[in-house]
Amino acid sequence: MVSSVANARTRFIAGTRGRFLNATLLLLIAVALIILATKVVTFGPAYFVQILVYGLANGSIFALIALGYTMVYGIVELINFAHGDVFTLGGFISLALLPVFGVSEGGGVSGAGLILPLLAILVISMVVCAVVNVTIERVAYRPLRHAPRLTPLITAVGMSFVLEGIMFLWRGPFNLHYPNVLPTTGIELGGANGPAITFKDLAVVAIAVVLMIALTLFVERTKLGKAMRATAQDRDAAELMGIDINRTIAATFFIGALLAGAGGMIFGLYYNTITFDQGFTAGLVAFTAAVFGGIGNIQGAALGGLVIGMIQSLSDGYFDTAWTQVLIFAILVLVLVFRPTGILGMRVPEK
Amino acid sequence: MQKRWLSMASVLTAIALVAAACGGGGTSGTSASPGGSAAGSGGATAGGEIIIASDLPTSGADASSGLPTQNGAAFAVSQLSSYKGIKITFKPFDDTVNGVHDPQKGAQNVQQMLSDPKVLAMVGPFNSNVARAEIPIANQGPLAMMSPSNTNECLTQDFPYCDPKPAALRPTGKNNYFRIAAPDTVQGPAMADYILNTLKLTKVAVFSDNETFGKGVADNFVKRLTAKGGSLTNRSDFDWKTTNDFKPFINAAKAAGAQAIYAGATSATKGCIVRSQMAGILDVPFTGPDGIGDDQCLKDAGSNTANMYFTNAAGDAAQNPDAASTVAAFKQAYPKASDLGAYTFPAYDCAFILLDAIKRAIDGAGGKVPTRQQVIDAVQSTSGLKGTVGTYAFDANGDPKSATMAFWATKGTPAAWTFQSQFSVGQ
Repeated sequence: MVSSVANARTRFIAGTRGRFLNATLLLLIAVALIILATKVVTFGPAYFVQILVYGLANGSIFALIALGYTMVYGIVELINFAHGDVFTLGGFISLALLPVFGVSEGGGVSGAGLILPLLAILVISMVVCAVVNVTIERVAYRPLRHAPRLTPLITAVGMSFVLEGIMFLWRGPFNLHYPNVLPTTGIELGGANGPAITFKDLAVVAIAVVLMIALTLFVERTKLGKAMRATAQDRDAAELMGIDINRTIAATFFIGALLAGAGGMIFGLYYNTITFDQGFTAGLVAFTAAVFGGIGNIQGAALGGLVIGMIQSLSDGYFDTAWTQVLIFAILVLVLVFRPTGILGMRVPEK
Repeated sequence: MQKRWLSMASVLTAIALVAAACGGGGTSGTSASPGGSAAGSGGATAGGEIIIASDLPTSGADASSGLPTQNGAAFAVSQLSSYKGIKITFKPFDDTVNGVHDPQKGAQNVQQMLSDPKVLAMVGPFNSNVARAEIPIANQGPLAMMSPSNTNECLTQDFPYCDPKPAALRPTGKNNYFRIAAPDTVQGPAMADYILNTLKLTKVAVFSDNETFGKGVADNFVKRLTAKGGSLTNRSDFDWKTTNDFKPFINAAKAAGAQAIYAGATSATKGCIVRSQMAGILDVPFTGPDGIGDDQCLKDAGSNTANMYFTNAAGDAAQNPDAASTVAAFKQAYPKASDLGAYTFPAYDCAFILLDAIKRAIDGAGGKVPTRQQVIDAVQSTSGLKGTVGTYAFDANGDPKSATMAFWATKGTPAAWTFQSQFSVGQ
């Protein structure tokens, strides 16, 4: 009798506290949105559209990285901390390949002649990254498959430092210039002073969209894709059905790194700068995107990447870059508190 | 990574220190004289020898800026071989470890100078962080220091953000450090004037790397710009380590009608990546402090290098008709193009000021070798001394009462920094 009253009381207090918390958070979000709205109005529609274009390009890059996190987590429940550095490696390898294929800023090939060499560089960078990632999996994760969960997490952090160290020794500690080879001309919306969608923006989004469609088709239509989904759902059962688990997991790492490598190259092409340790922050943000969409969920990661990219551009454009990281990780906290399984959740079978 | 790199560097420094200490032991063995403290107690003998030392980064990657600077000082001393029977010679020291200027190595060089009673003054150092390590040691000598290129304002002036404070660098409470470069607090306002008066533009967008130097120089720029009738269109202080996308800032500047961009940054803090990203969005002049005046900046800007400007804290001797004969004589003594750098003649002036002070100190000491303190006092009382790149006098902090500020801009293809104009600024 007494205890039930006490229980009810605790529940009541917890309830009010929870409701209070909810109300405060909603209020904070509302205030942020109102400030944003007033700023959007004062800065005018042209600027807003331009920011959305940047957000889309930003988001495409984050989505490519987030996919690798989510696929690996979906299949082995490991957060591959080296993934962000595989992404950076894609940028470094493509930077080294540019002169080999005669691509340079303000010289060499240009226009339509750029497409073939850039695609070749893209493919080579992607494959090298994929091979590196599979090697990492073979060396640092596979021997620990039955070890406690924390152990591969630590080796993942270790591999991240190894990759950063290699790139540091290769090109030094400073930011490197990545040639600005994509044309900065494009479609002008509303005159010379209006927002513009440049070929640079279009190329970034196009590469990302094509790769994401290819990934979805691969996972849904191919035998290996089916094996990956089965392994993600129940590894033991999949093994009993005759699926080669090691091969399937290696394939997952391979595909995840293909996307990250492509992300690294388009990051360089888009921002014209790369640094040996950029993968740390970019990786964390992409990881947030994966959690936001529901870790293990492929569509969720793509959606999460786009949303986080938008938020980053809106924050950079209307508030201050100093607040951007705060905002992104505040969103991570909010998502984890209110929807631990992310926006799209874990229910989708392919994870 | 950074920390590991640091610890590796410190181990190497330690090894270098041990090696250098052994070398130092050897030389002090040969030069040891019974009157070890003669200079300190007032140099009893007529005749004798005075050494002007220099401490500059003269090997490895830093040699490209350090060696030409050393040439200037060496040449100045070679112009006056003796005064009233006292021989005057030059002795260079190198403060690089593994090709990079190193504060500990610099401090150790100063200790070596102090142990030689003939050394009465030094030219240098080149880098502000080396100065920070050297001033407290030289101060206890006390040894007069004269830097051609240190611009950090905290070396001489006290601001709330200064750590360490200038007073903490001077344990004896007396000043022994002088420089002829304008401090960073002068650079921002100088570029503001240049944009308003020479480029004839009024609306400027400003960004900074949010670091002590960058933010400070941007703040000073904005203050002067708005005070002189210009306007600030928009400003961002980037967290440069995590920011790669500067396009929203550039677009906000475009939307607000910015006619120029001011970068409160250095090329190491992504200052010139912004220039690269401006391509195709906003085509206006790009300006900044001396932190962007290097080759790294031009590389980062990619093909978008036209119309870039920076302020340099030292003048150009080629612009001074009175210095023509000195410049010609220098070129005869040092014929290679790489012998001459942006800080060669500022270093020449440093040695020139020290020589002038030493001459006056010798006169004051009745034709004998003066004490180190007498040399410092003589430097302090320098007034209206005309050098190759400026006219010198010093305030109580050791700053020049007026300094020369030069403007450089990109010219040609491939773009290179070229001298535009210069002017004197009062403190």
